[in-house]
Amino acid sequence: MKLAVLSCIHGNYEALITVLDDVEEQKVDQIYCLGDLVGYGPYPNEVAALVRSLDIPTVQGCWDEDIVDGLNACDCSYPSLLAEKRGKAAHVWTDKIIHPEIREYLAQLPKVIKKDQLAFTHGSPQSQHEYLLPELDGFLALERVLSTGADVLFCGHTHVPYVRTLDEGSLKFSVQTDSSKAIAAKQEFTTSIKQIINAGSVGEPRHGRPNATYIIYDTDADQVTMREVEYDYKKTCAAIIEQGLPKIFAWRLAKGMEFAERADDPTHLCERGV
Amino acid sequence: MHWAILSGIEGNLEAYEAVLRDVHRQTPTVTDLFILGDLIDGTPEGNVVVERIRHPKKGELVPQVCKGAWEEQCLIVRGLAVEPEENLFVLEKGGFVLRQLWDNVPREMVQWFSRLHFGFAELDCLLVHGSSLGVFEKLTPDLSPLILLDRLARTGSNRLFCGRSGQTFKYQVAKAKLAATVTTLDSVEEEQNYDVGDRLIIGVGNVGRQPKEATYTLYNPETDKLIFRTVRYGKTAGFR
Repeated sequence: MKLAVLSCIHGNYEALITVLDDVEEQKVDQIYCLGDLVGYGPYPNEVAALVRSLDIPTVQGCWDEDIVDGLNACDCSYPSLLAEKRGKAAHVWTDKIIHPEIREYLAQLPKVIKKDQLAFTHGSPQSQHEYLLPELDGFLALERVLSTGADVLFCGHTHVPYVRTLDEGSLKFSVQTDSSKAIAAKQEFTTSIKQIINAGSVGEPRHGRPNATYIIYDTDADQVTMREVEYDYKKTCAAIIEQGLPKIFAWRLAKGMEFAERADDPTHLCERGV
Repeated sequence: MHWAILSGIEGNLEAYEAVLRDVHRQTPTVTDLFILGDLIDGTPEGNVVVERIRHPKKGELVPQVCKGAWEEQCLIVRGLAVEPEENLFVLEKGGFVLRQLWDNVPREMVQWFSRLHFGFAELDCLLVHGSSLGVFEKLTPDLSPLILLDRLARTGSNRLFCGRSGQTFKYQVAKAKLAATVTTLDSVEEEQNYDVGDRLIIGVGNVGRQPKEATYTLYNPETDKLIFRTVRYGKTAGFR
């Protein structure tokens, strides 16, 4: 079975329709979406409506959650004060134009979708706001996968695609309940191979090029393909400026990077949702 | 350097006095007394423990106190702290406890609670009531070792002392290994290797919950020596 996994569309309708064309060419059996349908981009209603109309199983992203519950930023939401200021401006704009039925749709999205030995989430299984960066301590990354009961965890949120294979995990531990007696002397905890697959971003890529990224996963061959798709990003950039959103969103979309605001602290762990 | 680490007096002054006497008898001498929260139990009688802690007798160690679940809940009741999305403490104790705390804990005492620390970071050790994640989280030895490693990783320390569960336990991650590879969009493959050794999570026991029997922990941060103490008090007093 061939799966396409899309994430972080961020109101970029042009990128979404181009990626969906590419998905069709790849002859996939099923599409999954990892949320953040809205935020930053100029077409949140159109993007969410299209994803909903195609019946794509979708999890709730951090932006989707904030549009439903109100802005409740935690330390991990924004990597800098500047980013937070711009993020809040985008939130206010999105909140104003979002249709009630789209808000309802975003509200009922689950945090995690589990399908056989695959799990799909936006940031991490414990919080839509937590970044599973490729440099995150391996044991913590392993814990996030195991918490879902899956072998493969698909996530987004970082906007940069990667495949991380966690192998040969073993941990020796002992438990003692008083000064003299070990009740669980030298136990060993081992795991089979687990994977974290980050789908990157359709609508706001940050891998250094403006092209949309997404993942194709072949469940039979256990094969991952990272797709990079060119689209007319200038159209979206023009719409961002036209709608009065912060101009830097257009700038970084054209560059495929975040300007001085990369969320790049792999030691930071989210305190929400645990 | 020799620490005595207590938690969960829960308004039981008799138990606290018995533990203080036991601490005083220790050789080598205890140099620091940490109390990891849960001083009160929501009753007016239980409040005397707080007064006793705040005003140690001459020659006694001045306790270093951090917030427990009872203290945090007092702050929440008074609007001085944010209630968690799922309040496990209220679920466990029952909703009536909110009224109890409002009625029985004086405002001045709550103000004192508001000045307490979340925990103490000392010499590669973090001492907290719950966990590095929050005051209400209960760490027990039957949790997944990876969850415990996560809570340790959040501290930046190799030793985590906690009191929420009331249990005395020493959970040692002796050795952990993991290999990983990361492949990026440009087909760059990076190999990662993780080695973890000698991390401890210590449950420090509970002073006041169980009648006639208090537990607490002695720790020497220089030698890493850990002793769990059980203090029997009252009519059937004895020590183990």
